[in-house]
Amino acid sequence: MMSGYLAGHSILHRLPAGLKLFALALLSLLILPMDAPWRLAGALVLTLAVYAALGRAALARVGLLRPLVPLLVLMFVLQAWAGDWTSAGLEAGMASVLRIVLMVLLADLVTLSTPLQHMMDALETVLRPLRPLGVSPRKLALAVALVLRFVPVLLSAWHAREEAWRARSTRRPSLALIPGFLADTLRLADRVAEALDARGFGRGRGPHAE
Amino acid sequence: MFRSPGVRPGGAPPVTRGDAHGIQIRDVWLNRGPTPLFCGLSLDLTEPRIGLVGPNGSGKSTLLRLLNGLMAADRGDITVAGLNARTHRRDLPTRVGFVFQNVDHQILFPTVREELTFGLVEQGRSRAEAREEAERLLALHGCGDWGDRAVDALSEGQKQLVCILAAIAPGPPILVMDEPLASLDLATRLALAARLARLPHQIIMASHDLDLLATFDRVIWLDAGRIVGDGSPGEVLPLYRAHEMARAAAQDTLS
Repeated sequence: MMSGYLAGHSILHRLPAGLKLFALALLSLLILPMDAPWRLAGALVLTLAVYAALGRAALARVGLLRPLVPLLVLMFVLQAWAGDWTSAGLEAGMASVLRIVLMVLLADLVTLSTPLQHMMDALETVLRPLRPLGVSPRKLALAVALVLRFVPVLLSAWHAREEAWRARSTRRPSLALIPGFLADTLRLADRVAEALDARGFGRGRGPHAE
Repeated sequence: MFRSPGVRPGGAPPVTRGDAHGIQIRDVWLNRGPTPLFCGLSLDLTEPRIGLVGPNGSGKSTLLRLLNGLMAADRGDITVAGLNARTHRRDLPTRVGFVFQNVDHQILFPTVREELTFGLVEQGRSRAEAREEAERLLALHGCGDWGDRAVDALSEGQKQLVCILAAIAPGPPILVMDEPLASLDLATRLALAARLARLPHQIIMASHDLDLLATFDRVIWLDAGRIVGDGSPGEVLPLYRAHEMARAAAQDTLS
């Protein structure tokens, strides 16, 4: 979920997108009640082995978890504190952290091995029952797809603002950057809407036109 | 969605050569906010390469957006390759491809193949057809192995080439470009300009690159929605350059 598709020809790449999403949902349900840290750690090792099997580029994506580290530490501390720093509390903290990391990595396995178009098709199938309620499955699927596509673009917009700050200040970038960044985001949304329109999306032809 | 000979989905008339050439703008009125921008603008755009010049806010981008149906005129008629822009808005992307300045604002998918197939699928082609067409187009433009590439791994120039290919994929005879080369380095700009020169499409381009526009067939100079100059680059560009230099000098003394 952190960045996009990684071209490749592994078994994982060849599995249908729907199956992968279904398996991900099932695994998440299995992992959710798991609270023994050693079990979760075992599952994590297995997941990392899959990354390693996919090659260096896939393994490098594990590093993209780094921004999550402060949050994970905070989670661990809160859990341990709530358990009065007993071994049970520490164990619960470990379990929550491992669970999150495991789920994010599993989800990213799907993202990195599935072209967005396939993901959209699978989502469209899943969302089809909502059509009688006036929901357009294709529009919703496209919305999800665009979120995935624009995560890196938004990150680089944030970095550009941060860099502009650092170029003129020795202090750490502050919350003052946020309004400008939000303005960037809204401008981007306008432009992307225009680009979609220019390519004919929502003009009443194509697969979403009934 | 299906096609049968003679009947086009959406009821658009089949394109026939002759009556469907270029763009005709007839008495177009358009307000931008409360202020009028175009007051009875009329133009025939039939030359293969047409440049638009003018200061920022002069109406270049707005005029380009009218041609692809991104905006609609308040009054008046625009005919694009034989189609009325108002009544056949949905079919315009198959007549006019649009390329914007910022590639990051227009590439919608993470891989090159998905980006190219999107517009084709939007125009009612099947996935398989769209994929085949995308591969054909990539091979034709010497990028046969680009299909699986991640867009984020491409250079700026390569990204802009992907945008151009995505715009021409649905087969429009006309390509409209809003300062497409502005953010590229000189070598990349020259290489892409050479590629554009080889395209069979009619191209209408807003640009501040007067060297590039000097190679065009016609240049139109807009200011505040009015046509100030219209003719060959040799006639229009020297006047425009002199005018802009005078304006720069005037701004300098004001500060």
